[in-house]
Amino acid sequence: MFDAVSSNLPFLMGGFWVTVKLAFFALAGGIPLGILVGLGRISRNKWVYYPVTFYVNVIRNIPLLLVIFWFYFVMPIIIGSPLDPFPSAVISFIIFEATYFGEILRAGYQSVSKGQIEAGYSTGLTYVQTTRYILIPIALRRMLPSMITQSIVTYQDTCLAFVIGLPEFVRRARIVDTLEVRSIQLFGFVAIVFFITCYIGSVISRRFEVREQEGG
Amino acid sequence: MIQIKDMSKWYGDFQVLKDITEEIKQGQTVVVCGPSGSGKSTLLRCINGLEPFQKGEIFVDGVSVSDPATNLYKLRTEIGMVFQRFELYPHMTAIQNITLAPMKARSKPRKEAEAKAMELLQRVGIPDKAHEYPANLSGGQQQRVAIARSLVMEPKIMMFDEPTSALDPEMIKEVLDVMIGLSKGGMTMIVVTHEMGFAREVSDEIIFMDEGMIIERGTDISFFQKPKNPRTKEFLDKILI
Repeated sequence: MFDAVSSNLPFLMGGFWVTVKLAFFALAGGIPLGILVGLGRISRNKWVYYPVTFYVNVIRNIPLLLVIFWFYFVMPIIIGSPLDPFPSAVISFIIFEATYFGEILRAGYQSVSKGQIEAGYSTGLTYVQTTRYILIPIALRRMLPSMITQSIVTYQDTCLAFVIGLPEFVRRARIVDTLEVRSIQLFGFVAIVFFITCYIGSVISRRFEVREQEGG
Repeated sequence: MIQIKDMSKWYGDFQVLKDITEEIKQGQTVVVCGPSGSGKSTLLRCINGLEPFQKGEIFVDGVSVSDPATNLYKLRTEIGMVFQRFELYPHMTAIQNITLAPMKARSKPRKEAEAKAMELLQRVGIPDKAHEYPANLSGGQQQRVAIARSLVMEPKIMMFDEPTSALDPEMIKEVLDVMIGLSKGGMTMIVVTHEMGFAREVSDEIIFMDEGMIIERGTDISFFQKPKNPRTKEFLDKILI
């Protein structure tokens, strides 16, 4: 029943590995850049705030697919040499996801009540101590479930790199399908693999949400 | 203990506090009341330097709050502050909320800080809640933890900013009882509240503020019986049933 999958398993799993690598690099770059973006969004310095806000608003209002396209087709014109699909996709994802991670950080920061910070100050804690023991731990706890969810979304979105010819999981399933014509079986297999990996992620995310409610 | 001289504060063009002059002596309890937006909370926040002000002076125990040379962090350990919305740290248990400042701002060893915290939890009547997170405590219990969190720094002054306004009616008394105990124990206190029963029982002076000014002050009896200003009378008629 799964003959088309089993006879092409190494090829398909090679594509899965490309997907995992792409997601890994997208997050490894997107989260740190997102932290900078988030800090820029809460900055009181207008030379930081306005450019960062402009960047966030532009990117968040463009479909990811277009960001990937644009980067892949326009960048070579600007820099004068063609880009490989993989680094091109990684950079597109980092640029795109950083805006979402940045907004999660901003929301987490703003969810900490001003009063909790002032409570820290009013007991004689310094700025650094208040930030270290009150602001960051509270914001981080609020942010974590959204960060995990956004990471799962990023992982799912990696299959959009399909459009620039990156041989990731879905593209490889498509290649096998053109030869073997077993669409339901092949894309069913891809869906199951995505489902299992994402489900594990969402279970982890939910555990953090429960912890937050308990206060621990 | 606290001297405020001709103090004014603006937010941009808007003047929130106008020429406030007030003296609070050691051991006194002063109640501040007035309609919302009258500047009561802002006044408290200026006293411990959480908000800057542009004119006049405030001295706490002889130290100027607005002097750039003043160590505000040290000054604030002398002034406890209790907030309307408790503002406990949600990621810490009751006892951790209390021990954070002594351990970090005063470098007290954990054992010593915890012993002191337990003593205070006993005093506010909830030693059994020491290891609960704020989310598992009632409003009244949270506010009592917040009071203990301020007291642990052994402040000379306690400020309360509408400490019972966010509480369900049946929990107001347990918080007021703790505050009455403090006042009778000789703590210098400034309390923003509309609990006139509390004001009657422990206050040495009541101040009525409106539109950033102190428009009436008096000892409890004169204040309630013969308010001079029609605004005060109007306000009292609204809050006293």
